[in-house]
Amino acid sequence: MIKRTLYFGNPAYLSTKDQQMVISFPEEEKEKVSIPIEDIGVTILDHYQVTISQALIHRLMENNVALITCDDRHLPTGLHLNLSGHTLQQERFTAQLQATEPTKKRLWQQVISSKIKNQAALLEAIYQDHEALLRWSKQVKSGDPDNLEARAAAVYWKKLFTAHTDDFKRGRFEDEPNNMLNYGYAILRAIAARSLVGSGLLPTFGIHHHNRYNAYCLADDIMEPYRPFVDELVLSIMDMEDIDIYDLSPELKKHLLQLPTIDVMLGKERRPLMVAMQHTTASLAECLLGNRDKLKLPERCKPIA
Amino acid sequence: MQTYRLNQYRVMWVMVFFDLPTDTKKDRRNAALFRKRLLKDGFRMFQFSIYLRHCPSRENAALHIKRVKKSLPPDGYVGIMIITDKQFGNMELFYGKKEKELPETPQQLSLF
Repeated sequence: MIKRTLYFGNPAYLSTKDQQMVISFPEEEKEKVSIPIEDIGVTILDHYQVTISQALIHRLMENNVALITCDDRHLPTGLHLNLSGHTLQQERFTAQLQATEPTKKRLWQQVISSKIKNQAALLEAIYQDHEALLRWSKQVKSGDPDNLEARAAAVYWKKLFTAHTDDFKRGRFEDEPNNMLNYGYAILRAIAARSLVGSGLLPTFGIHHHNRYNAYCLADDIMEPYRPFVDELVLSIMDMEDIDIYDLSPELKKHLLQLPTIDVMLGKERRPLMVAMQHTTASLAECLLGNRDKLKLPERCKPIA
Repeated sequence: MQTYRLNQYRVMWVMVFFDLPTDTKKDRRNAALFRKRLLKDGFRMFQFSIYLRHCPSRENAALHIKRVKKSLPPDGYVGIMIITDKQFGNMELFYGKKEKELPETPQQLSLF
Protein backbone atom coordinates (compact mmCIF):
# COMPACT_ATOMS: atom_id res chain seq x y z
CA MET A 1 0.00 0.00 0.00
CA ILE A 2 1.21 3.49 -0.71
CA LYS A 3 1.83 5.29 2.56
CA ARG A 4 1.50 8.98 3.25
CA THR A 5 4.30 11.51 3.43
CA LEU A 6 3.99 14.24 6.06
CA TYR A 7 6.11 17.36 5.91
CA PHE A 8 6.28 19.79 8.84
CA GLY A 9 7.68 23.16 7.83
CA ASN A 10 5.80 25.25 10.41
CA PRO A 11 5.48 25.22 14.21
CA ALA A 12 3.38 22.27 15.38
CA TYR A 13 2.88 19.99 18.37
CA LEU A 14 2.80 16.31 17.51
CA SER A 15 1.30 13.80 19.89
CA THR A 16 -0.71 10.59 19.77
CA LYS A 17 -4.14 9.39 20.79
CA ASP A 18 -6.06 6.23 19.80
CA GLN A 19 -3.27 5.09 17.43
CA GLN A 20 -3.58 8.37 15.55
CA MET A 21 -1.05 11.15 15.10
CA VAL A 22 -2.59 14.31 16.50
CA ILE A 23 -1.25 17.56 15.08
CA SER A 24 -2.09 20.74 16.96
CA PHE A 25 -0.92 24.23 16.20
CA PRO A 26 0.22 27.16 18.36
CA GLU A 27 -2.42 29.37 16.75
CA GLU A 28 -5.53 28.45 18.67
CA GLU A 29 -8.01 29.05 15.89
CA LYS A 30 -6.40 26.31 13.80
CA GLU A 31 -8.16 23.01 14.26
CA LYS A 32 -6.37 19.83 15.32
CA VAL A 33 -5.66 17.25 12.62
CA SER A 34 -5.59 13.54 13.26
CA ILE A 35 -3.92 11.02 10.96
CA PRO A 36 -3.88 7.21 11.28
CA ILE A 37 -0.27 6.25 12.09
CA GLU A 38 -0.53 3.02 10.09
CA ASP A 39 -1.09 5.10 6.93
CA ILE A 40 2.15 7.06 7.34
CA GLY A 41 5.34 6.10 5.49
CA VAL A 42 7.64 9.09 5.80
CA THR A 43 7.58 12.04 8.23
CA ILE A 44 9.85 15.02 7.65
CA LEU A 45 10.49 17.45 10.51
CA ASP A 46 11.82 20.70 9.10
CA HIS A 47 11.13 23.44 11.62
CA TYR A 48 12.84 24.23 14.92
CA GLN A 49 9.48 24.71 16.60
CA VAL A 50 8.09 21.26 15.91
CA THR A 51 7.62 19.44 19.23
CA ILE A 52 7.12 15.68 19.19
CA SER A 53 6.18 13.36 22.04
CA GLN A 54 8.14 10.24 22.84
CA ALA A 55 5.00 8.13 22.69
CA LEU A 56 4.48 9.28 19.12
CA ILE A 57 8.09 8.53 18.13
CA HIS A 58 7.58 5.05 19.56
CA ARG A 59 4.33 4.54 17.63
CA LEU A 60 5.95 5.76 14.43
CA MET A 61 8.81 3.30 14.86
CA GLU A 62 6.35 0.51 15.60
CA ASN A 63 4.73 1.20 12.24
CA ASN A 64 8.06 1.36 10.43
CA VAL A 65 7.84 5.04 9.58
CA ALA A 66 11.00 6.80 8.38
CA LEU A 67 11.36 9.88 10.59
CA ILE A 68 13.59 12.50 8.95
CA THR A 69 15.01 15.58 10.64
CA CYS A 70 16.41 18.56 8.76
CA ASP A 71 19.11 21.15 9.41
CA ASP A 72 18.88 24.93 9.17
CA ARG A 73 19.43 24.79 5.43
CA HIS A 74 16.36 22.50 5.22
CA LEU A 75 18.37 19.53 4.00
CA PRO A 76 17.69 16.14 5.58
CA THR A 77 20.33 15.32 8.24
CA GLY A 78 18.98 12.42 10.24
CA LEU A 79 16.93 9.32 9.64
CA HIS A 80 15.31 7.51 12.52
CA LEU A 81 14.31 3.92 11.75
CA ASN A 82 12.76 0.91 13.39
CA LEU A 83 15.13 -1.60 15.02
CA SER A 84 12.98 -4.64 14.39
CA GLY A 85 11.21 -4.24 11.09
CA HIS A 86 10.65 -7.89 10.27
CA THR A 87 9.79 -11.07 12.16
CA LEU A 88 12.50 -13.17 10.50
CA GLN A 89 15.04 -10.42 11.02
CA GLN A 90 17.81 -12.48 12.60
CA GLU A 91 17.74 -15.05 9.80
CA ARG A 92 17.83 -12.32 7.18
CA PHE A 93 20.62 -10.34 8.82
CA THR A 94 22.69 -13.52 8.85
CA ALA A 95 21.97 -14.20 5.19
CA GLN A 96 22.87 -10.63 4.32
CA LEU A 97 26.12 -10.60 6.28
CA GLN A 98 27.16 -14.01 4.99
CA ALA A 99 26.35 -13.29 1.34
CA THR A 100 29.27 -14.42 -0.84
CA GLU A 101 31.27 -12.05 -3.04
CA PRO A 102 29.96 -13.65 -6.27
CA THR A 103 26.34 -13.23 -5.12
CA LYS A 104 26.90 -9.58 -4.27
CA LYS A 105 28.62 -8.98 -7.59
CA ARG A 106 25.80 -10.59 -9.54
CA LEU A 107 23.26 -8.42 -7.69
CA TRP A 108 25.35 -5.32 -8.37
CA GLN A 109 25.42 -6.25 -12.07
CA GLN A 110 21.60 -6.30 -12.16
CA VAL A 111 21.36 -3.01 -10.27
CA ILE A 112 23.74 -1.18 -12.59
CA SER A 113 22.29 -2.67 -15.75
CA SER A 114 18.85 -1.49 -14.64
CA LYS A 115 20.14 1.97 -13.71
CA ILE A 116 21.78 2.50 -17.11
CA LYS A 117 18.65 1.22 -18.84
CA ASN A 118 16.51 3.74 -16.95
CA GLN A 119 18.97 6.51 -17.76
CA ALA A 120 18.75 5.53 -21.43
CA ALA A 121 14.94 5.55 -21.28
CA LEU A 122 14.97 9.07 -19.85
CA LEU A 123 17.39 10.34 -22.51
CA GLU A 124 15.16 8.78 -25.15
CA ALA A 125 12.12 10.54 -23.69
CA ILE A 126 13.81 13.94 -23.96
CA TYR A 127 14.96 13.20 -27.51
CA GLN A 128 18.63 12.77 -26.75
CA ASP A 129 20.85 10.10 -28.22
CA HIS A 130 20.58 7.07 -25.96
CA GLU A 131 21.98 4.26 -28.13
CA ALA A 132 25.31 4.01 -26.31
CA LEU A 133 23.66 3.74 -22.91
CA LEU A 134 21.20 1.14 -24.11
CA ARG A 135 24.09 -0.91 -25.49
CA TRP A 136 26.11 -0.58 -22.29
CA SER A 137 23.15 -1.59 -20.14
CA LYS A 138 23.32 -5.02 -21.78
CA GLN A 139 27.08 -5.34 -21.40
CA VAL A 140 27.39 -4.91 -17.64
CA LYS A 141 29.39 -7.84 -16.26
CA SER A 142 29.25 -9.35 -12.79
CA GLY A 143 30.44 -6.67 -10.34
CA ASP A 144 30.71 -4.10 -13.17
CA PRO A 145 34.53 -4.45 -13.53
CA ASP A 146 34.59 -2.15 -16.60
CA ASN A 147 32.88 0.54 -14.53
CA LEU A 148 30.20 1.09 -17.15
CA GLU A 149 28.25 2.90 -14.44
CA ALA A 150 30.73 5.78 -14.49
CA ARG A 151 30.98 5.81 -18.27
CA ALA A 152 27.21 5.93 -18.62
CA ALA A 153 26.99 8.67 -15.97
CA ALA A 154 29.49 10.84 -17.85
CA VAL A 155 27.41 10.67 -21.03
CA TYR A 156 24.13 10.93 -19.20
CA TRP A 157 24.89 14.07 -17.18
CA LYS A 158 26.34 15.77 -20.23
CA LYS A 159 23.08 15.33 -22.12
CA LEU A 160 20.43 15.53 -19.44
CA PHE A 161 20.20 19.26 -18.84
CA THR A 162 21.37 20.56 -22.23
CA ALA A 163 17.99 22.22 -22.78
CA HIS A 164 18.30 24.17 -19.52
CA THR A 165 21.93 24.96 -18.76
CA ASP A 166 25.11 24.98 -20.83
CA ASP A 167 27.63 23.74 -18.33
CA PHE A 168 25.95 21.41 -15.90
CA LYS A 169 28.24 19.74 -13.40
CA ARG A 170 26.89 17.06 -11.12
CA GLY A 171 28.16 17.34 -7.56
CA ARG A 172 26.99 17.82 -4.01
CA PHE A 173 27.99 21.46 -3.75
CA GLU A 174 27.68 22.47 -7.39
CA ASP A 175 25.13 24.90 -8.82
CA GLU A 176 21.43 24.38 -9.48
CA PRO A 177 19.72 22.04 -10.20
CA ASN A 178 22.05 20.05 -7.93
CA ASN A 179 20.17 21.37 -4.90
CA MET A 180 16.96 19.73 -6.14
CA LEU A 181 18.74 16.52 -7.09
CA ASN A 182 20.31 16.26 -3.64
CA TYR A 183 17.00 16.82 -1.94
CA GLY A 184 15.27 14.27 -4.17
CA TYR A 185 17.97 11.67 -3.57
CA ALA A 186 17.77 12.23 0.20
CA ILE A 187 14.05 11.47 0.11
CA LEU A 188 14.66 8.48 -2.16
CA ARG A 189 17.28 7.17 0.25
CA ALA A 190 14.84 7.45 3.16
CA ILE A 191 12.23 5.51 1.18
CA ALA A 192 14.83 2.86 0.33
CA ALA A 193 16.11 2.58 3.92
CA ARG A 194 12.57 2.25 5.24
CA SER A 195 11.74 -0.51 2.77
CA LEU A 196 14.96 -2.37 3.59
CA VAL A 197 14.14 -2.36 7.29
CA GLY A 198 10.64 -3.56 6.41
CA SER A 199 12.16 -6.46 4.45
CA GLY A 200 14.34 -7.48 7.40
CA LEU A 201 17.65 -6.19 6.03
CA LEU A 202 20.31 -3.94 7.51
CA PRO A 203 20.61 -0.70 5.53
CA THR A 204 24.20 -0.31 6.73
CA PHE A 205 25.88 -3.26 4.98
CA GLY A 206 25.95 -2.74 1.23
CA ILE A 207 26.46 -5.10 -1.68
CA HIS A 208 28.77 -2.62 -3.39
CA HIS A 209 29.05 0.65 -1.49
CA HIS A 210 31.28 0.27 1.57
CA ASN A 211 32.31 3.73 2.63
CA ARG A 212 33.21 3.47 6.33
CA TYR A 213 31.43 6.77 7.04
CA ASN A 214 28.21 5.84 5.31
CA ALA A 215 25.45 4.35 7.48
CA TYR A 216 23.17 3.59 4.54
CA CYS A 217 25.31 1.66 2.08
CA LEU A 218 22.64 -0.87 1.14
CA ALA A 219 20.07 1.89 0.70
CA ASP A 220 22.49 3.66 -1.62
CA ASP A 221 23.00 0.44 -3.57
CA ILE A 222 19.38 -0.42 -4.03
CA MET A 223 18.24 3.12 -4.91
CA GLU A 224 20.56 3.36 -7.93
CA PRO A 225 17.98 2.23 -10.52
CA TYR A 226 15.50 4.70 -9.04
CA ARG A 227 17.75 7.75 -9.37
CA PRO A 228 16.68 8.53 -12.96
CA PHE A 229 13.11 8.99 -11.66
CA VAL A 230 14.36 11.78 -9.39
CA ASP A 231 16.23 13.25 -12.37
CA GLU A 232 13.07 13.19 -14.45
CA LEU A 233 11.09 14.83 -11.66
CA VAL A 234 13.72 17.59 -11.41
CA LEU A 235 13.64 18.04 -15.18
CA SER A 236 9.86 18.39 -15.13
CA ILE A 237 10.14 21.03 -12.39
CA MET A 238 12.69 22.97 -14.45
CA ASP A 239 10.24 22.93 -17.34
CA MET A 240 7.60 24.65 -15.21
CA GLU A 241 7.12 28.34 -15.57
CA ASP A 242 7.20 30.82 -12.68
CA ILE A 243 9.14 28.68 -10.30
CA ASP A 244 12.30 29.78 -8.56
CA ILE A 245 14.67 26.83 -8.69
CA TYR A 246 17.47 28.60 -6.78
CA ASP A 247 15.75 28.45 -3.45
CA LEU A 248 14.44 25.24 -1.89
CA SER A 249 11.10 26.85 -1.10
CA PRO A 250 8.08 24.94 0.25
CA GLU A 251 6.59 25.26 -3.24
CA LEU A 252 9.60 23.53 -4.76
CA LYS A 253 9.66 20.85 -2.08
CA LYS A 254 6.00 20.13 -2.65
CA HIS A 255 6.89 19.08 -6.17
CA LEU A 256 9.93 17.10 -5.08
CA LEU A 257 8.01 15.28 -2.37
CA GLN A 258 5.68 13.84 -5.01
CA LEU A 259 8.44 11.32 -5.60
CA PRO A 260 6.82 8.39 -3.72
CA THR A 261 3.70 8.58 -5.91
CA ILE A 262 5.34 8.53 -9.33
CA ASP A 263 4.25 5.55 -11.43
CA VAL A 264 6.94 3.06 -12.40
CA MET A 265 6.72 -0.27 -14.20
CA LEU A 266 7.66 -3.41 -12.31
CA GLY A 267 7.59 -6.19 -14.87
CA LYS A 268 4.13 -5.81 -16.41
CA GLU A 269 2.65 -3.98 -13.45
CA ARG A 270 2.30 -0.29 -12.83
CA ARG A 271 3.09 0.72 -9.25
CA PRO A 272 3.72 3.92 -7.32
CA LEU A 273 7.47 4.26 -6.70
CA MET A 274 7.16 3.70 -2.97
CA VAL A 275 5.33 0.40 -3.48
CA ALA A 276 7.78 -0.68 -6.20
CA MET A 277 10.64 -0.06 -3.77
CA GLN A 278 9.05 -2.46 -1.30
CA HIS A 279 8.94 -5.13 -4.03
CA THR A 280 12.58 -4.45 -4.87
CA THR A 281 13.82 -4.79 -1.30
CA ALA A 282 11.68 -7.89 -0.71
CA SER A 283 13.21 -9.49 -3.81
CA LEU A 284 16.68 -8.48 -2.59
CA ALA A 285 16.06 -10.31 0.69
CA GLU A 286 14.92 -13.40 -1.24
CA CYS A 287 18.07 -13.23 -3.41
CA LEU A 288 20.30 -13.01 -0.33
CA LEU A 289 18.49 -15.96 1.23
CA GLY A 290 19.17 -17.91 -1.96
CA ASN A 291 15.48 -18.31 -2.92
CA ARG A 292 15.70 -16.44 -6.21
CA ASP A 293 18.34 -14.99 -8.60
CA LYS A 294 16.67 -11.96 -10.11
CA LEU A 295 15.88 -8.69 -8.40
CA LYS A 296 12.60 -6.97 -9.19
CA LEU A 297 13.76 -3.67 -10.64
CA PRO A 298 11.77 -0.68 -11.89
CA GLU A 299 11.44 0.64 -15.42
CA ARG A 300 10.23 3.93 -16.77
CA CYS A 301 6.50 3.99 -17.63
CA LYS A 302 5.35 4.72 -21.11
CA PRO A 303 2.63 7.39 -21.07
CA ILE A 304 -0.95 6.10 -21.18
CA ALA A 305 -2.53 6.92 -24.52
CA MET B 1 5.28 12.48 -14.61
CA GLN B 2 2.33 10.23 -14.03
CA THR B 3 0.49 9.13 -10.95
CA TYR B 4 -2.19 6.98 -12.52
CA ARG B 5 -2.24 4.50 -9.64
CA LEU B 6 -3.51 7.14 -7.25
CA ASN B 7 -6.62 8.55 -8.85
CA GLN B 8 -10.08 9.29 -7.62
CA TYR B 9 -11.54 6.06 -8.99
CA ARG B 10 -9.13 3.93 -6.94
CA VAL B 11 -9.17 5.88 -3.71
CA MET B 12 -12.02 4.58 -1.55
CA TRP B 13 -14.04 5.79 1.41
CA VAL B 14 -15.38 3.24 3.89
CA MET B 15 -18.59 4.30 5.64
CA VAL B 16 -19.93 2.59 8.74
CA PHE B 17 -23.52 3.29 9.85
CA PHE B 18 -24.83 1.94 13.09
CA ASP B 19 -27.73 1.85 15.51
CA LEU B 20 -26.66 0.23 18.74
CA PRO B 21 -28.87 -0.55 21.76
CA THR B 22 -28.14 1.50 24.88
CA ASP B 23 -30.73 0.06 27.26
CA THR B 24 -28.46 -1.68 29.73
CA LYS B 25 -25.09 -0.74 31.13
CA LYS B 26 -23.57 -3.65 29.22
CA ASP B 27 -25.08 -2.43 25.94
CA ARG B 28 -23.68 1.05 26.44
CA ARG B 29 -20.28 -0.39 27.20
CA ASN B 30 -20.37 -2.51 24.03
CA ALA B 31 -21.43 0.50 21.98
CA ALA B 32 -18.63 2.63 23.43
CA LEU B 33 -16.09 -0.13 22.74
CA PHE B 34 -17.22 -0.45 19.14
CA ARG B 35 -16.93 3.29 18.64
CA LYS B 36 -13.49 3.37 20.27
CA ARG B 37 -12.26 0.59 17.98
CA LEU B 38 -13.46 2.56 14.95
CA LEU B 39 -11.52 5.60 16.16
CA LYS B 40 -8.40 3.50 16.73
CA ASP B 41 -8.68 2.15 13.21
CA GLY B 42 -8.60 5.70 11.83
CA PHE B 43 -12.32 6.30 11.29
CA ARG B 44 -13.67 9.80 11.89
CA MET B 45 -17.12 10.81 13.00
CA PHE B 46 -19.16 12.20 10.13
CA GLN B 47 -22.54 12.24 11.88
CA PHE B 48 -23.46 10.80 15.27
CA SER B 49 -23.57 7.19 14.13
CA ILE B 50 -21.90 7.47 10.76
CA TYR B 51 -18.13 7.03 10.64
CA LEU B 52 -15.83 7.50 7.69
CA ARG B 53 -12.38 6.35 6.71
CA HIS B 54 -10.26 7.27 3.70
CA CYS B 55 -8.37 4.35 2.09
CA PRO B 56 -5.81 4.76 -0.71
CA SER B 57 -6.94 1.57 -2.51
CA ARG B 58 -9.70 -1.01 -2.69
CA GLU B 59 -7.42 -3.62 -1.12
CA ASN B 60 -6.77 -1.33 1.82
CA ALA B 61 -10.50 -0.68 2.17
CA ALA B 62 -11.06 -4.46 2.33
CA LEU B 63 -8.61 -4.64 5.23
CA HIS B 64 -10.43 -2.01 7.25
CA ILE B 65 -13.82 -3.60 6.53
CA LYS B 66 -12.42 -6.85 7.87
CA ARG B 67 -11.35 -5.09 11.05
CA VAL B 68 -14.79 -3.51 11.50
CA LYS B 69 -16.41 -6.93 11.07
CA LYS B 70 -14.07 -8.35 13.70
CA SER B 71 -15.06 -5.73 16.24
CA LEU B 72 -18.83 -5.86 15.66
CA PRO B 73 -20.84 -5.51 18.90
CA PRO B 74 -22.97 -8.50 20.04
CA ASP B 75 -26.24 -6.63 19.35
CA GLY B 76 -27.17 -3.75 17.12
CA TYR B 77 -27.61 -2.83 13.50
CA VAL B 78 -24.46 -2.00 11.50
CA GLY B 79 -24.03 -1.14 7.81
CA ILE B 80 -20.68 -0.99 5.98
CA MET B 81 -20.36 0.59 2.55
CA ILE B 82 -17.49 1.62 0.30
CA ILE B 83 -17.61 4.29 -2.39
CA THR B 84 -14.94 5.77 -4.64
CA ASP B 85 -13.44 9.17 -3.96
CA LYS B 86 -15.11 10.32 -7.17
CA GLN B 87 -18.55 9.39 -5.84
CA PHE B 88 -17.72 10.81 -2.43
CA GLY B 89 -16.73 14.09 -4.05
CA ASN B 90 -20.19 14.34 -5.67
CA MET B 91 -21.98 14.34 -2.31
CA GLU B 92 -23.85 17.50 -1.42
CA LEU B 93 -23.72 18.65 2.18
CA PHE B 94 -25.87 21.18 4.00
CA TYR B 95 -26.08 22.74 7.38
CA GLY B 96 -29.57 24.14 7.66
CA LYS B 97 -30.13 25.64 4.23
CA LYS B 98 -26.51 26.62 3.89
CA GLU B 99 -24.28 24.51 1.75
CA LYS B 100 -21.28 22.98 3.56
CA GLU B 101 -17.94 21.83 2.32
CA LEU B 102 -17.07 18.14 2.11
CA PRO B 103 -14.43 16.67 4.39
CA GLU B 104 -11.10 17.04 2.68
CA THR B 105 -9.64 14.04 0.87
CA PRO B 106 -6.30 13.29 2.53
CA GLN B 107 -3.49 13.65 0.02
CA GLN B 108 -0.56 11.29 -0.17
CA LEU B 109 1.63 14.30 0.58
CA SER B 110 0.51 16.65 3.35
CA LEU B 111 2.43 19.80 4.21
CA PHE B 112 1.90 21.37 7.61
